[in-house]
Amino acid sequence: MRRSKVCFVGYGSTEYSRNSEASALSYYADAIRDALKRTGIDKKEIRGFSITTQASPDYSPHVAEQLGLEVDWVLNGDYGGAGGVMSVRRAADAIECGHLDLALLVGGNSFDRSTPTQRQLEYQRGNFVDVFGYGGPNSLMALIQRLHMNNYGTTLEQIGKIAIAQRFNALNNPQALFRQAMSMQDYLNSRMISDPIRLFDCVMPCSGAECILLASEQKAKQITDKLVYLVTDAEISHYQVANMLPDKTTFGQKVVGERIFSEIKREDIDLFEIYDDYPIAVMIQIEDLGYCQKGEGGKFVDHHDLTYNGDFPVNTGGGELSVGQAGLAGGYLHLVEALRQLRCEAEGHQVKKADRALVTGIGWLNYGRNLGTTAALVMERRK
Amino acid sequence: MAEARTPQKSLPKINKVDQRFWDGAAAGKLLLQKCKSCGKVQFFPRVACVDCFGELDWIESKGSGKVHTFTLVRVPRNPAFKEETPIYYINVILDEGVIIESRLVGDSRDKVKMGDRVKAVFLETHDPKIKLPCFELA
Repeated sequence: MRRSKVCFVGYGSTEYSRNSEASALSYYADAIRDALKRTGIDKKEIRGFSITTQASPDYSPHVAEQLGLEVDWVLNGDYGGAGGVMSVRRAADAIECGHLDLALLVGGNSFDRSTPTQRQLEYQRGNFVDVFGYGGPNSLMALIQRLHMNNYGTTLEQIGKIAIAQRFNALNNPQALFRQAMSMQDYLNSRMISDPIRLFDCVMPCSGAECILLASEQKAKQITDKLVYLVTDAEISHYQVANMLPDKTTFGQKVVGERIFSEIKREDIDLFEIYDDYPIAVMIQIEDLGYCQKGEGGKFVDHHDLTYNGDFPVNTGGGELSVGQAGLAGGYLHLVEALRQLRCEAEGHQVKKADRALVTGIGWLNYGRNLGTTAALVMERRK
Repeated sequence: MAEARTPQKSLPKINKVDQRFWDGAAAGKLLLQKCKSCGKVQFFPRVACVDCFGELDWIESKGSGKVHTFTLVRVPRNPAFKEETPIYYINVILDEGVIIESRLVGDSRDKVKMGDRVKAVFLETHDPKIKLPCFELA
């Protein structure tokens, strides 16, 4: 839907770590401190709170209490990798309705083993997938990638080009866990995990947190002179659910893209923060969003430069593939990077013309189809 | 309590919704749900038709179909499966027109190609009451 009165006013991030056992709560707190420091906002001004995580067992009001937040609006943004974008949509609704003027949206993860957080697999995953010895999300995305390669002739080199471009983007991003260049040979030779998914198709699980501050236009003008507006946004959950022979290589982003681009032109987007749990997922979303025909994603990648100084900048800070996936902070990383770019604060990987960014989220690999939740939004810098 | 245990291979936590399915599998039958109103066949077991929300019957599948897509699992989520890797995890399009996720077993599984015909077989587990509907190349 079209928006006109909601702004992104700030962001906060933590360092990412592969071995820290600090609590998830302390990661959220660090990200929030970073955001408050950057914006000069007093914590008491925050009137809305959303948390997206699998790492802390408490419900969202308990997390808000832990963090000392007295709020008028609280949300458990449990939409998997779409949690960031979908939480922004709900917060924007609440702001437009006048329930609040400043919301804090947090995603995070940690490997703190002193807090019991291991969730049971959901019903269909537990009873009808895990019993056969599957390899987690890597196997479910492998099924999709094999179909894409089989049906459309997509090559490993085309898929690998996405991972390699994103690694290039990460080289100057201090947050990225992987900051050494990746060659095509590195990609092709990486260890097989669940054919045809290789190690360098996979994200590195890590501890970390990201947060976003969303405000009414009026409040935003008090906070910052870099006004970044939410322009349009859309989502769909369980695309093709009633189709027992669904197209596994088309995500709900097809519908999301139609809605988004009924409001804004595709060519008006300057940079693309596309949820990247796997390179093939980026390629499929480029197709679904209408930047090329279904099945032409490989050729599209061949003909475009996806680096931050290229003609189609994708995941300009390295994305989850090179920065790391701090659990469900993954869906916030793309929002934070887009905002960093539009505020011209992406030192070392700044896109030259960064007025409009598209941010996507996808989550919950589901039974027999592909993604359960899919969402996207466009943000725009205005003088 | 708290003694070290070797991990066990995953088994379904059978519930009210899918009890019939697992009873069928234990008897060597692959059961699907069919809508009493619109006739749509569906899988996995649910409480209503995913299309028209009608009530459901159970039907027996012929157990035959073709390989829709597959992956060779080198790193199973549950480490108890490690000794059986690579595991041939597959999506099968059953002749009844539904996708079922499963595992390809049998000596010729390494010859599998997209579109190959397969037939259901029922794999015994460490629980004598539970059998898993898997597939072999036909």
